[in-house]
Amino acid sequence: MRVTQPTRRAFLGGLLTTPLLAACAGFDTSGAASPGTVGFLSTQFAPVEERQRYEQVLSRLPVPVAYNPVDAGVFRTTIDSQTAAGQVQVGMVGGLHGDLAPIAEHLADVESLLADLAPAGFAPELVQLARFGGGAAKYVPWMQATYVLAVHQRALEWLPPGVDPEALDYDGFLRWMQAGAAGNGAPIFGLPAGPRGLHHRFHQGYLLPSFTGGQITAFTSADAVGAWEYLRELWQVTAPASTNYAFMQEPLARGEVLVAWDHVARLIGAVGDRPADWLMVPAPRGPKGLGYMLIVAGVGLPVGGPEREKAEIAVRGMASAPMQIETLRNNAFFPVTSIELPADLPAGVALEARAVKAQNSADDAVLALPPVGVGAHDGQVSQVFKDCFTQICLDGRPARQVVDAQARVLSGLLAELNVPCWAPDPPNAVCEVG
Amino acid sequence: MTKSLDTGVPAGTEPTASGPADVDRAPLRRHRRNRALIQLGCIAVTLFMALPLYLVALAAFTSRSALDRFPLSLLPTDLSTETIGRFLASTGILASLGNSLIVGFGALVLSTVVGVPAAYALARYAFRGKDSYQLFLLFTRALPIVVLSVPLAQLFLSAGIYDTTYAVILLHGALALPTTILITASVFVSVPVDVEEAARVFGCTPAQAFRHVVAPMALPGIAAASIFTFVLSWNEVLGASILTLNRRTLPAQVLTSLNESPLAYRFAGGFALVVPALLFIAVMRRWLTNMWGTTIR
Repeated sequence: MRVTQPTRRAFLGGLLTTPLLAACAGFDTSGAASPGTVGFLSTQFAPVEERQRYEQVLSRLPVPVAYNPVDAGVFRTTIDSQTAAGQVQVGMVGGLHGDLAPIAEHLADVESLLADLAPAGFAPELVQLARFGGGAAKYVPWMQATYVLAVHQRALEWLPPGVDPEALDYDGFLRWMQAGAAGNGAPIFGLPAGPRGLHHRFHQGYLLPSFTGGQITAFTSADAVGAWEYLRELWQVTAPASTNYAFMQEPLARGEVLVAWDHVARLIGAVGDRPADWLMVPAPRGPKGLGYMLIVAGVGLPVGGPEREKAEIAVRGMASAPMQIETLRNNAFFPVTSIELPADLPAGVALEARAVKAQNSADDAVLALPPVGVGAHDGQVSQVFKDCFTQICLDGRPARQVVDAQARVLSGLLAELNVPCWAPDPPNAVCEVG
Repeated sequence: MTKSLDTGVPAGTEPTASGPADVDRAPLRRHRRNRALIQLGCIAVTLFMALPLYLVALAAFTSRSALDRFPLSLLPTDLSTETIGRFLASTGILASLGNSLIVGFGALVLSTVVGVPAAYALARYAFRGKDSYQLFLLFTRALPIVVLSVPLAQLFLSAGIYDTTYAVILLHGALALPTTILITASVFVSVPVDVEEAARVFGCTPAQAFRHVVAPMALPGIAAASIFTFVLSWNEVLGASILTLNRRTLPAQVLTSLNESPLAYRFAGGFALVVPALLFIAVMRRWLTNMWGTTIR
């Protein structure tokens, strides 16, 4: 009798937990489990609201697509392990050019798809990029972005005479920020120089191309040393909390800084809320032109992936004008096809679109790309630029000495990689630090 | 009482009749002081634990515009459920919460079923290589999870359990085994062999003696180990992200997203991650208190 009670209790407990544990291999967290749905693994639009908005955009496609954003490391590991096991469970993959490069060998050739989509008018340089320096294209361009300056109206108060905020040069910009810091009593400029900030793209795509016309081939030139010395001066009037900033929209919205350089999608949060308070302007120009960086994202089809036909329909749909416009409208990533932007864009996005257009259509624009073909070493290459910034601007070490030391690190990396140079450097056979 | 102390005449000058002034109050005062210090210590530790939780909860339920204000108000002045509501409405949050619970309890059951007999053997029997076996157990944790996960993902893909909670249960169960075995073994050691022998004398089989005598006394240790297992499984991100694709656990589902989300969502997500783990610990606490009440004296 003593024994029956616990037995009954155990039996009931077992009855309750058994279905939970045994009958359930887990609940579907992305929506891809229902048959006929295309699983879309991506490194983009992970933030809560961006993802929700992009799921809305994707729901306009004629086929059901389950959006599954992950970080770049998990993205690569997932594709690698699924391919190695011969069981690809992802219908399509999306990521930045740099995310797709390391898995390019697992992606299907999309030349025929690109040929069908030719009327949409993909920018030729983007298609060229998708070919990874020769061979067949491995992804269809999806969307693009760049970096610009966001300026609060209040910062215009300290604009020195003769400086035009819409057509800045680096010297005028420095004088402006100096005047702002003096007038405001605290720096008004901020850079995303935190651990998760993208300031290395500023060094790679803006500072060095504008001062030297190159990224890698002019790394040790006198112009490059001049560029770093300029940055050290600018750092004197940059908010010191910058070393903690990741997304400039947050310090901008809090009013900690009034002027900031960042990725358009990382500025829109501040500007979109009160568009009347803000100006979006192209980055400054230097002695060698207006250096700016282009960020390209693409969608690819993994070899052996499920639901191939539906995935192709989805990729075609994503290249259509309405989808491209909706992506811009919702998440501030720009179209990759030749379409007219509509007049009724949200005010913040319209501000950005103007700045982006002014930036890449400038006469002296110098297009730069994030390191191409370096695959998983992108982080190490970018670290070289971050280290230059840290040692020259934060630690105050002599620029020449730091640049020479980092050039050796960079040469070592590139010698191992054996890749051709990317814009703005000339596509030599093998990229070498100059 | 205080009066006698206040007016207390210097000892020796005038003999006090039979007053309490004679009594040496120092031990009492010391006792009170110690008790007050203990109380203060407890309050400090509680604040240390509770304050961050309070701030996370406060920020999770504050409107986004209020979070951008400076200085931040430390009192709930601008309450709003907008952020947490939008967070919970994201695709897969509730499903992944369910998966996390399944994985947490699954790992707990697995590591208990496998770990308790191993711990009992370690506590009760002397065998060759026992010490090295104990050390060897910890080697599971010596390898980084990412090194384990990639081959495991391939193996599970071939075995057909990739992207299921079973795969994550197996990983988390294995990761939790060393702590389960070592904690429960030390508790089994503290259960006297005599009571087990007494049970045998009164006619129990070894299994019955374990079931009716040893297990209830070791329950608190098992409870403590299960808290470790559950919390380990609840917090583990990398392995779960690599072994699943469309059936993620809660941390694997939200962590990347929160890392890149605005501050408000990070607080909302943090709150959603903390609460279930706290609830679990609150439930398990019953058996822990029991441990301090009975077994360990």
